[in-house]
Amino acid sequence: MPVRCHVKSLQICDQVTGGVLAMQKIKSLMTRQGPKSPQDSIHDLSPVENFRIPSKEELRDLREQATDPQAEQELINSIEEIYFSNDSFDVVQYELEKLPPVLSLQEMEEYRDRLKRQQAAVSKKVADLILEKQPSYVKELERVTSLQTSLQLAAVICTNGRRHLNAAKEGFTQASLGLLANQRKRQLLIGLLKSLRTIKTLQRTDVRLSEMLEEEDYPGAIQLCLECQKAASTFKHYSCISELNSKLQDTLEQIEEQLDVALSKICKNFDVAHYTKVQQAYRLLGKTQTAMDQLHMHFTQAIHNTVFQVVLGYVELCAGNTDTKFQKLPYKDLCMHITSESYIPCLTDLCKALWEVMLSYFRTMDWHEKHDQEEVPSSSDSNNVPATENNFDRSYIKKKLEHGLTRIWQEVQLKVKTYLLGTDMSNFKYDDFIFVLDIISRLMQVGEEFCGSKSEVLQESIRKQSVNYFKNYHRTRLEELRMFLENETWELCPVKSSFSILQLHEFKCLGQSRSPSMSPSKQVSSADSASLSLFDQYSSGGNPFEIQAAMKDDETEDVLASNGYESDEPEKSAYQEYDSDSDVPEELKGDYIDEQTGDAPTKSVSRETLRSRKRSDYNLNKVNATILTNTTLNVIRLVGKYMQMMTILKPIAFDVIHCMSQLFDYYLYAVYTFFGRNDAHESSGLGLSSSRLRTTLNRIQESLIDLEVNGENPGSLASSEEKKQKVPSPHLSQLVILTSSNTLFGLAERVVATESLVFLAEQFEFLQTHLDSVMPAAKKPFLQQFYSQTVSTASEIRKPIYWIVAAKAIEYEQTLLIMGNVKWDVKEIMSQHNVYVDSLLKEFEQFNKKLSELTKHVRIPLPVSNILWEHCIRLANRTLVEGYANVKKCSNEGRALMQLDFQQFLMKLEKLTDIRPIPDKEYVETYIKAYYLTENDMERWIKEHREYSTKQLANLVNVCLGSHINKKARQKLLSAIDDLDRPKR
Amino acid sequence: MGTHVFLLTDFLFKFLVIGNAGTGKSCLLHQFIEKEFKEDSNHTIGVEFGSKIINVGGKHVKLQIWDTAGQERFRSVTRSYYRGAAGALLVYDITSRETYNALTNWLTDARMLASQNIVIILCGNKKDLDADREVTFLEASRFAQENELMFLETSALTGENVEEAFVQCARKILNKIESGELDPERMGSGIQYGDAALRHLRSPRRAQAQSVQECGC
Repeated sequence: MPVRCHVKSLQICDQVTGGVLAMQKIKSLMTRQGPKSPQDSIHDLSPVENFRIPSKEELRDLREQATDPQAEQELINSIEEIYFSNDSFDVVQYELEKLPPVLSLQEMEEYRDRLKRQQAAVSKKVADLILEKQPSYVKELERVTSLQTSLQLAAVICTNGRRHLNAAKEGFTQASLGLLANQRKRQLLIGLLKSLRTIKTLQRTDVRLSEMLEEEDYPGAIQLCLECQKAASTFKHYSCISELNSKLQDTLEQIEEQLDVALSKICKNFDVAHYTKVQQAYRLLGKTQTAMDQLHMHFTQAIHNTVFQVVLGYVELCAGNTDTKFQKLPYKDLCMHITSESYIPCLTDLCKALWEVMLSYFRTMDWHEKHDQEEVPSSSDSNNVPATENNFDRSYIKKKLEHGLTRIWQEVQLKVKTYLLGTDMSNFKYDDFIFVLDIISRLMQVGEEFCGSKSEVLQESIRKQSVNYFKNYHRTRLEELRMFLENETWELCPVKSSFSILQLHEFKCLGQSRSPSMSPSKQVSSADSASLSLFDQYSSGGNPFEIQAAMKDDETEDVLASNGYESDEPEKSAYQEYDSDSDVPEELKGDYIDEQTGDAPTKSVSRETLRSRKRSDYNLNKVNATILTNTTLNVIRLVGKYMQMMTILKPIAFDVIHCMSQLFDYYLYAVYTFFGRNDAHESSGLGLSSSRLRTTLNRIQESLIDLEVNGENPGSLASSEEKKQKVPSPHLSQLVILTSSNTLFGLAERVVATESLVFLAEQFEFLQTHLDSVMPAAKKPFLQQFYSQTVSTASEIRKPIYWIVAAKAIEYEQTLLIMGNVKWDVKEIMSQHNVYVDSLLKEFEQFNKKLSELTKHVRIPLPVSNILWEHCIRLANRTLVEGYANVKKCSNEGRALMQLDFQQFLMKLEKLTDIRPIPDKEYVETYIKAYYLTENDMERWIKEHREYSTKQLANLVNVCLGSHINKKARQKLLSAIDDLDRPKR
Repeated sequence: MGTHVFLLTDFLFKFLVIGNAGTGKSCLLHQFIEKEFKEDSNHTIGVEFGSKIINVGGKHVKLQIWDTAGQERFRSVTRSYYRGAAGALLVYDITSRETYNALTNWLTDARMLASQNIVIILCGNKKDLDADREVTFLEASRFAQENELMFLETSALTGENVEEAFVQCARKILNKIESGELDPERMGSGIQYGDAALRHLRSPRRAQAQSVQECGC
């Protein structure tokens, strides 16, 4: 628009005179730019025809004339002010008036040129300005055109509208307007209905949610709940929604609670599907970590609840009333109320229940191991899972679970410990106690597999109970052993010659496997599941403590079957089975016909009859028949039981072995006090018992024998604890008569007793390596000492015991008496021996007869008969020397008679006994022959032969007096004997 | 359980269990002591032992029971335990006439070896196997009457009459002691005063000392 103004001005400037006018116009336009509205401009300049573009020539002139902008500006400035001032001023008039009164052409022309220049400058300026504004002009023009079009459209709409309004004015009624309004309402209501329906569905979801919860579809429920919340948020402009929202929030919390309950169920009965659901649910909630933390709490709680419920169940069952007081008791006190009858079933159930919990934990870990790996990559694509879940560190779970293992096992141990120590088990039956130990060792095995634990807590409590139990058990056993010993008549207990302790079921584990480190039950389990851990074995079902119970049955069956008719148990073979009769001489086969006199049940009569023909294996005369008594068997069985205990109870192995040694000690002590103690002999200093044996017996008496029981001596109260460890000295059964010479002073009983002890010692020797292997290294010296000082002395006890028989069996005093009547100062060589020899030999013959008589009842082992013979012969020879030393007078011939007598004695004796050389033969011969020695020889001889008593030596010297020893020599020799005597004492 | 009370006994009786092999002697004893049946039992070797304290007429009696092997070959071992027995259970098997027929021998043995005054109760064991019965109750009770025995049919399996057999036998002995028929002081009576009785009867001084000791525990 301003451009048009300029164009108009340019028209004016076309003319020479019009130049000034144009300038004036431009000037005014220049000042008026901006405030003028477009409408006005359009109005002013609308005739486009006026628009005339200056000729090229003119423009070129303009450009040539003023190229310098500075000069141009000056030119423009030089334009008179008036040209810029008013619109309505007449330029021509002004210039004309300005003309001086005298016109000079030159001046005029100059003036005219000046005006022309000015005009050119203005034109140029205007053209420049026009060029400058050209683009904005074009742009503006376009807008103007579009505005024009819009205006035309608006005009059309308005026209239409007016027309319609006119039509409506004519056509519309109120009713149709109402209809219209209703329609609009309807549309709104339909929208509302839709929303309400959705809200209703949302409200109903609650029902569905609780249904889902009942179905335990936690992830579904949570998903639904979360969707509902989302949906609800789009309707939050409804006031009912806020209520619904809070309800949904409540539901969500409720779900969480239920989920927690569901999680706790895992602890008792792990179910993969169930746990997967729960874990999914927690992931949806973004609370996996919380879940893991909760899980540990639940497991701990589960352990507590489980043990409490199990124990409470048993306590209430046993109490037999519905008294609720037990429910309020702490677990520890509750354990005290368990009766000894219910102790084992309760413990078994306890372990079973705890196993379930641990297995659940194990399977939980297993689940995580499998699922966490799978889920980590897939978790990114599940958009429902909150961001916290995706960032959650899966290794946390693993760490947490692994850490939990030890804590849970510790918890289990503590609970079981409380239970274990809650009852005094010292009065339990042996088998029951072993059963408890077996359960616990199995539990420890579980612990080992569960978390590699050494189960210190369990071991310590089981050790405590074991020591307590074992002390009590051992006390009872010792007391029982005393009773056995006091009722023992030292009759031979008939066993097969091939009897071995390994045939006894107490030693079965030893005989079969030779693996001392295993308890019988462990062998079974390790045999069939060597490579399989318990958790692998029972992960799908079953319970290792169930097997335990079954194994107990097996074991008892073994024990019981071992002597049964139908079974092939080894023990049976020791007593009942007659596997081969080939080694039995035909004539012996009829020995035991009486066995069939109805002893056996009818059903097995035929077999029994068959067997009875072969009974001869029990023949007591058999060379190698084992000599043992009922009591020996009892001790051996006890040893077996103790060894079983040791195997299961490694920690108290030493205590057990110590007690085991006491069994042997007591047996040894009993046999000695019954048959070997003879104060007369002890004091006579014959040294029958070796110092080793005496030391051992003294040790036993001091450590084991309670001597105060019989002596009424309540004053000296030894500490009762010490007394508890001791047993009174046993008394020999009144049925055993040791005074009859017909029975060789109870030789049979003595043999059975002594040899059974020797047999027992042999069994101990046999077990030594085994015992050594279970003995802790630090305590091995005890065992070595026990063997070297006690067990090995067993056979030494033969000496004092058989000595007593030997001392009484022959009438030595009688011989001595007869010898006193013999005259030795004879003057001729006699050819007939003296009567005392015959009487002594007769005694020996009788002894021999009694001995062989006895052999029919009791096998007398060769060492025993040898010892007996040796003792007798030694005693006889000593009697002879004593007899010879009693002689008052003796001639050379008399001395020869002595030799003759002794030769006779030896000759006959050698026919009676096989023992060679005859013991103490030299002893007699040397003494007799010493008579012939000269004085000097005699002195030396006296010094060399200290085995003779002072009396015997003195007598020798006295007898020689008068033949080849004079009085002076006698004095000298007697003083030599006295000298010998002194250092002796 | 916790604290086990050790009863002071008034008397100690020596008991025997005798009878043929396989009649269930060990099972009877086991049932009496352990209150359970010993499955598939095996033959006793020599002599085994069990003890139990029972209450008879207000008195605590400790029974020292020797369970003997029934097999003939152990006879010499078992016989030595007869001496000084105060009571005996003579056991036969109601399903085996053979075991019943042997009773006379057992009885003679017991009367001869134990003591004339021995109190014997006849036990027809395996009462539970009524279907296989070979010896009637009537017949056995007549035998018992003739031989002045008490009589019961027992079952070690079910436990029926087991405790009764021991208790009845003990009661009879107690009665005999009270009537003066039996003298506990006599050697070989198979009866001893228990620790309770001992304290009162024999050594009041000692009893005092012991009770003092106990209070200290």
